[in-house]
This record gives sequence, structure tokens and C-alpha cells, in this order.
Amino acid sequence: MPAELPREVVDCDVHCAPGSMDALLPRLGDYWRDYVEDSTARLPPSGAYPPGARTSGAEPVPQDQAELAAALERTAPRRALLSCLTLDGVHRNPHYAAAMARGLNDWMREELLDRDERLRGSIAVSTLDIVTAVEEVEPLGDDPRFAQVLLPVRSDVPYGNRLYHPLYEAAARHGLRIALHAWGRPGAAPTTTGLTTTYLEDYASNSHIAQFQLLSLVTEGVFGKDPDLGVVFAECGFAWLPALLWRFDKDWKGVWREVPWVKERPSEYVRRHVRLTTEPAHLPRVREQVAQVVEAVGPEMLLYASDHPHDHGDSGGALLRELGTADVEAILRGNAMAFYGQSVS
Amino acid sequence: MRVVVARVEDFPPGARRIVKAGARSIGVFRVEDRFFALRNRCPHQGGPLCEGRLSAWAVADAPGQVQMTGPPRLVACPWHGWEYDLETGQSFLGPGETRVKAYDVSVARGGTLDGDVRRAEVPEGARAAGREPGPYVAETFPVYVDEEDYVVVDV
Repeated sequence: MPAELPREVVDCDVHCAPGSMDALLPRLGDYWRDYVEDSTARLPPSGAYPPGARTSGAEPVPQDQAELAAALERTAPRRALLSCLTLDGVHRNPHYAAAMARGLNDWMREELLDRDERLRGSIAVSTLDIVTAVEEVEPLGDDPRFAQVLLPVRSDVPYGNRLYHPLYEAAARHGLRIALHAWGRPGAAPTTTGLTTTYLEDYASNSHIAQFQLLSLVTEGVFGKDPDLGVVFAECGFAWLPALLWRFDKDWKGVWREVPWVKERPSEYVRRHVRLTTEPAHLPRVREQVAQVVEAVGPEMLLYASDHPHDHGDSGGALLRELGTADVEAILRGNAMAFYGQSVS
Repeated sequence: MRVVVARVEDFPPGARRIVKAGARSIGVFRVEDRFFALRNRCPHQGGPLCEGRLSAWAVADAPGQVQMTGPPRLVACPWHGWEYDLETGQSFLGPGETRVKAYDVSVARGGTLDGDVRRAEVPEGARAAGREPGPYVAETFPVYVDEEDYVVVDV
């Protein structure tokens, strides 16, 4: 990280989570309070990162505005987009998951957005029931402090599937972006070939799942249907993009008849509709090659993210140190302003 | 150079012939009552373009809602599946892509020579499919039918 970041940075991935079920209980309603008590359901400690793992970072995930304010002191962003992954750890009862999504969104609005004007929210929705997810997005989408709908990059069904299209339409209608964030429900296979046995595999696989989700979104015509839709891959890396798009374009040329609704090269859709956050960056060891990677990806594709408090090493800083002023400016602020529009301005 | 391909009566709709014109190999196609001729060499990597399958444009305005438009209009190179318009040799892989050299083909009955080159507007199917021409155009040749009702390619 440069010694001093320019002002007005937009930080596109800052984690937060309620400290315990107690923070949500008042927002759940009588029936679900009873349900939680009877089932002894608890919240995961802080989303996907085990508290003891090196990658979880030295500080805990902020649980309230005061902790967030302390975390934001160093980079002093103009805007910080909050990612709360708590829903990833909620079990598979779709009605309970919907109630928890509602509770988490109310918590984010009342405890964080109402108390700090720098903060911008991500709407948590459960993918177990897309009709209910749309109902959750509709009212919150009118609140300009919510910038995006947050989904785990791991899914039960690939994200291009028609099942999800009503959710994308609702997001586009409200000017919300879709954020596909690393990790997901423990029961959802974190790889394309099945379940894993280690945290290391899960951690390293997020970038691979992201690539498959990207194929799915383009191939099933999501971006052709909805010119206003934007998808950001958060915490899934980005250096893989050029190789994927080269192959994707090439294969489309020969087999486009299977997907005639994909009328342009897949890379054209991706460059218009998709962005990726900078943390963690998977960079070459040779410093001179870092700028080449960014040139191949396209500096306009990248959104700065601190990913606080998670600690992937200094890859994000190493990235910015090797780039020219214009690219740094774009990544730290300009790209986010263009992608999210009013909600981060 | 004129290359006699076949008698018209021996060249029914749906048929194709690969002929030699000096060192060049040329594919001649009959689609319904129209004749087309293309250089049998894909500009991508030199594959035998004219041995590939013929297809009409597939048009879809929404995922899953696909319609085929009209008679076959495109030939797909058997190597990588890149497709070229039979009349113009145009590929539709988008701007910035390679294109095949195209020769114009025409047919004239009873010695009427119709050698006019009909160049490469975007055909209706490609327009309906929402596709952008790329720079690759396959070589095309005029085709006629002479007094004896032979199909002839002008090279």
C-alpha cells in the first residue's frame, strides 16, 4: 500500500457482522425468536474466516459503527461498501434464512448506515427462495445507501440460471449492483468438482468458482437481457480474467449456435457489465510484470477493496505501487464511481 | 479463368462441388436456386472451409427463444467452426476479428453472363441475429450457367 492513499477513496469491500444473535433477535419477530431459542441456532463467528486463521487478520470483524470507524481511520475512505457474510452460515430452512436476511439488513441500516454517512450497504438475500429475495430487495432498493445485492460466489445452481433472473431484474430496476463475494454456505461445494476437506482448498478455490460463475452469467444471457445490470466479483482475484476471456471468446466463435442470444464476443459483455475487487490480488513475482497483468485485465475493470479485516498479505499494496497515477486514481475511486453511480457519490 | 463445374441438371439444390482453379480450391454451393462460390481456405488458419456444414442464421432475442431464418446462408469451417456468409464471405465474429477473402458468385442461364459483383451488405439473417461483421471475408467468385446449361465459375 502506498504510504498515503489519495483522499476520496471508495473502498468496495469492508467486512462487518453482528457480534451475536442478540443483535438480531429484536429484529426477528416473535416466531423466529422462539425458533432461534428452541433450535439453539447461533451465528457463525465472522463469516467464512476462522478466527484463528492467519488470513482472518489481526483484528476482529467490526460489529458496530464505532469499530468500523476505527477500522476506517487509516484509509479514510469517502465511501466504504459493507459486506456482511453472516447469512452464509445460516442453515437451509428458506423461511428462516429469509427472516435472517431481513434482520441483517435492518441491523445494517439501523446500526451502521444511519450512524455513519460514509457507509454504504449490501443487501443480504437468501438464494434458497428467489421470490422472497426479490421481496427483500424491493423496499430496500429505494434507499440509496444500499449499493448492491450481496450473494455468495458459491451457489447451489450457477448464477446464470433463469431462476435468478427476477432478482437481477429487481436489482437493475433499483440501480443496485450484484456482488458475488468469496465463500458461501458450507454445504455448497466450494469447487466445481465437489466438497473439500480443508480450509486451504476453500480459500484458494474462490477464484475458480468466480470464473465458472462468469461463464454462466454470460452464457445464459443475463447481460444481454439487462443492459443496466452490473456484477462485481469481490475477493475472488482478477489476474485470471485475460486467460479466461481469451478462451471464452474463442470457443464462442465456434459454438455460438448453442447460445445465439450471446450476440457479441463474451469479453464484450464482461467488459461492460463486470468489475472485480483488488483484494486479494494474485500477482507475478517479477515487479515489472504487475503492470502488464493490469494492462491485460484492463485497469478500468478493477475496484479498490481493503477487505478489512482479512489479511491476504500486501498484494493490494503491491498492485498499486506498480501502477501509474491515472490507473491508481481509477482503481481507488473513478471506476467505483462509474460502476455504482449515485450510491457511492 | 472460367471453370466449368457441372451441368445444372446434375447440380441439385443442396449440393456442393469442390473444384480446382489452378492452385486454388473453390467450393461451389447450390442453395435452392442460387449458386455461391467461396475459396476453400479458411482465413483463420487455412482449413478446408467449404467442406463444412451449412446453416441458416439462428436468431434469439432472449435466452432459449431461438428461431432459424430462411435457407442455409453460412458455411462453418470444419476446423474451428468459424462461419462465413456464402454470398459475401463475411464473418460475423465482431469488429477486430479476421475475415475471409470472398469471391462473388452469380448464375446466368442460357449464356447470360451475370458477372456483377454483389458486395457485402449485412445480410438480413445477420442483422436479425444482431451480429457485427468482422474484417475477415472469404474470397467469392461469379458463377454462371452457359448456353449448354453448365454451371461455370469465373476465377
